[in-house]
Amino acid sequence: MFRSHVAAPSGAAASPQFRLPSNAWRGPTVVTCTARSGRASISSCSVTKEMEVAHVTDSEGARVEPTLGERLRLGSLLEDGLSYKESFVIRCYEVGVNKTATVETIANLLQEVGCNHAQSVGFSTDGFATTTTMRKLRLIWVTNRMHIEIYKYPAWGDVVEIETWCQSEGRIGTRRDWIIKDLSNGEVIGRATSKWVMMHQDTRKLQRVSDEVREEYLVFCPRTPRFSFPEEDNASLKKIPKLDEPSENSRLGLVPRRADLDMNQHVNNVTYIGWVLESMPQDIIDTHELETITLEYRRECQHDDSVDSLTSAEFEGASENGSSNGVALSMHNPQHQFLHLLRLSGTGLEINRGRTVWRKLKGKKEKL
Amino acid sequence: MAASFAAAGFFPKTNSSIKPAKNSFLDKPDVISLNSVPKPNKSDTISSMKAQAQTLPKINGTNPGVKHPFENVLLEDPLKKSSSPLDPPIPSSSPFQMTPSKTFYNSLPDWSVLLAAMMSYIFLAAEKQFTLSDWKPKRPEMLADAFGFGRMIQDGSVFRQTFPIRSYEIGADRTASIETLMNHLQETALNHVKIAGLLGDGFGATPEMSKRNLIWVVSRIQLLVEKYPSWGDVVEVDTWVGASGKNGMRRDWHVRDYKSGQTILRATSVWVMMNKETRRLAKMPEEVRAEIGPYFIDRLAIRAEDAKKLPKAEKKDSSERFVREGLTPKWGDLDVNQHVNNVKYIGWILESAPISILEKHELASMTLEYRKECGRDSVLQSLTSVSSSADCTGEDGVRCEHLLQLESGAEIVKGYTEWRPKRTEEGNAGAISGQSA
Repeated sequence: MFRSHVAAPSGAAASPQFRLPSNAWRGPTVVTCTARSGRASISSCSVTKEMEVAHVTDSEGARVEPTLGERLRLGSLLEDGLSYKESFVIRCYEVGVNKTATVETIANLLQEVGCNHAQSVGFSTDGFATTTTMRKLRLIWVTNRMHIEIYKYPAWGDVVEIETWCQSEGRIGTRRDWIIKDLSNGEVIGRATSKWVMMHQDTRKLQRVSDEVREEYLVFCPRTPRFSFPEEDNASLKKIPKLDEPSENSRLGLVPRRADLDMNQHVNNVTYIGWVLESMPQDIIDTHELETITLEYRRECQHDDSVDSLTSAEFEGASENGSSNGVALSMHNPQHQFLHLLRLSGTGLEINRGRTVWRKLKGKKEKL
Repeated sequence: MAASFAAAGFFPKTNSSIKPAKNSFLDKPDVISLNSVPKPNKSDTISSMKAQAQTLPKINGTNPGVKHPFENVLLEDPLKKSSSPLDPPIPSSSPFQMTPSKTFYNSLPDWSVLLAAMMSYIFLAAEKQFTLSDWKPKRPEMLADAFGFGRMIQDGSVFRQTFPIRSYEIGADRTASIETLMNHLQETALNHVKIAGLLGDGFGATPEMSKRNLIWVVSRIQLLVEKYPSWGDVVEVDTWVGASGKNGMRRDWHVRDYKSGQTILRATSVWVMMNKETRRLAKMPEEVRAEIGPYFIDRLAIRAEDAKKLPKAEKKDSSERFVREGLTPKWGDLDVNQHVNNVKYIGWILESAPISILEKHELASMTLEYRKECGRDSVLQSLTSVSSSADCTGEDGVRCEHLLQLESGAEIVKGYTEWRPKRTEEGNAGAISGQSA
C-alpha cells in the first residue's frame, strides 16, 4: 500500500483533505492526512480509492464516521477522482420574482461546487484554489470567461446535483465545466463552462500556466477531453462583439455593496451578473427568463469603483448597427438576444462584456 | 449522528399529544442515531412529507407551496412502537392521502402497525447503503430530505434544520455574514410552516389567512450573536412560535454550531397580521388561531437576563452621523411579492456604517423595527449614528443607531446595533501560504 502524508491547510475547518499522488491509479492507495484545524477532533483521515467517502480516524486509530455535516459538505469525488459532484437544496431566499432560483443563485452554486472540488483534492482553502507551486509563485486563478445555460430553473425546495471537473485549455488557461441536474429525476437542467487564467497576485499581470503547475492539477482532470458543451459550434464559443454606443438601455453608477465583496476584497464574479441584468429592459425581464448568459471578464473592479451597465439588443444576421431592418427580425424571433457592456464610470474602461439570450416565460404575453 | 432524512410517511397521533413535553426544552435536543431505532417516548418526530414534492412534475414558475398531496403531517403516536425517521415513500394514490382541511389528527391504528414494520425494514436497509456517493435518484424522497429540509422535534413544537455554510455566504472577514444567518432564519421559518401544513398560497400566510387576504408582516426582530460560523461549518437552527399579545405571533430561533453545540445566535421576532389589499393591520381571526394556536409554546430564545443586552433607543449626547444615499433594490432583491426581502434591509443598513467599525468589530446584537415596506422603485437612504457615550458594552464596544428611509423621509426600518471587537482565531493564520506535504 502506498502511503503518503499530507498536511491540510489550517483554515480547513473539519473537512479532511487528501491528495492522490500521480501514480495513484496503479492500485489501492491510502493517503493519510492530518487536519490541523483547532476545531477538528479528527487527527487523521485516510482515503482509499475504492471508497469515495473519506474515513476519519481518531488518534487511537479507531474509525470515526464523518458526521452528516461533513458528508453534506464534502459532496464527493466520483469513483475515478476526476470529477466532483455535490447536491444543493434551493432555499427560499434564493428564489426570485418568478418563484424559481435566480441566475445569481445558480452562479453562486457553481462557484461553491468549484471551490469544494478544489478543496477536496487538496488545493488551498483560502478562496484561491491554488496549487502549491502557484502559492510559491504568488499566482492565483482568475476567471476569463463564463458561459451558463439553464434549461429549467429549479424552485424552492428542489435539490440540484452539480458535477464539475477541470482540464487544461490551450497553453495559457484551464477550464472548468459543470453539469446541473435535477436530483429527483436526473434531468439535465443546466450546463456551464468557464475559462481561467493565472495572474500574479501582486502585479496583477497574467501569466502562462507553467508545466510545473499543470502537472500538479492535471492529475485531477479527465484524461480525455470532456466538455459540458461537446457539440460543434456551440454558443459557449461565440465571440462577443462590443456593443455600439449609445446603447439602448443603461444603468449608471452601480456601486459594489459590502456583501458583493468576496473573501479577497474583490467584487465577486457573480455580482457582475447582477449588474449586467440591471440595464435589461423591464418588459423583457417581466415576460422572459434568462436562458443563456456569457460573460468575458476583462478587468477587475474594486470596492470603491462605480460601474455603468449598458445593454443593446443583438440581431443575428443583421448589421451590427442594429438597423431598422433588425427590428423587424426580432419581432419574429421568439428568443431575445442582447449584448452587454460593463465599464468603469469614470474612465470608461471595460470591465466585462456579455451576451444574454432570453426565452419567453410560459403563460406570459409579450408586450410590444 | 442526526438522521435528518425523514421521508414521506404518516403516523397516527391523537390530539392530546401535541402539547409539548415541558421538561424537554432544556435538554440537549434529541439526536437520532442511525444505529439505533429510537424509542418512542424519547424522540417523537413528525415525518416530513416535503420530500414527496420532489416527485411532482415541476413547472417553471410553479409555486412550491401549492398543491402537494400531503399538506399535513400526522404526528407520531407515542404509544405505537418504533418511530423511525425513515418512512417509506407513499405514492399519491395511497389511502393516506389527506386534504388540508380534514382529519389532521385522526388515528389509523390498522395501517400504523403495517407501517411500523415496513419502516424498520427500510430503515435498516437504508442504513447499509448510506454513503454519500451511493445515493442515486431511486430514493428521491430520502435524498431530498437528507439535504436539510429539517424536521420537527419535541412533539412537533420545534422545527430543526441544518445548513452548511457555503463559500459565497462568507463576508470579507471570512465568517458568515449576518445576512446569511438571517437568511437561514427566514428559510427555517418557511420550512416550519410548510412542514406543519400551514403554507397558504404564498410565502407567509396560512390557508385560512389566504382566504381572507391576510399576510404576516414582521414588525420587530431582535438578535444576539455569540459567535460567527466560518466556511465549511454546519449550523443547526431550531425555531418555534408563540403568542404575542392577542393578535400577534412571536417566532424565536436558536442557532447552534452543529458539531460543538455551541450557541451561535438567539433571535426573537414579532409578527402582525395585515390585510394584503388595504395594507391595514388586522385582528387574528378565530380560524387562524385554530390553525396555528396548537403550535404556540412559551419557550423564549432570549431570556430576560439576556434581553438586557439587546440594544434599544437611547439618548445620545454626541454622535457621529454617516449617510449613504441612492440605494435602490436590484432585481434580485425582490421576493415573490415584488417587495424587498426583509434581509436585504440589513445590507443597506450596514452600508452607511463606517468601515472603521466594520473592519475591526463584529455585530454582537441588533434590534430592527420594520415600519414600512418598500418596493422595486424605491430610492432609499441609510443613516447611521455612532454613539460615543462611554457606557457601551465592554471597553471597545460601539453602539449605533440606524435609519433606513425613503428619500421622501418615510421611515422603512429603524435599527439599533451593538458591536464588539472581533476575536481572532488561532488556527486561522497563514491561509494564503497554506501548508503542503
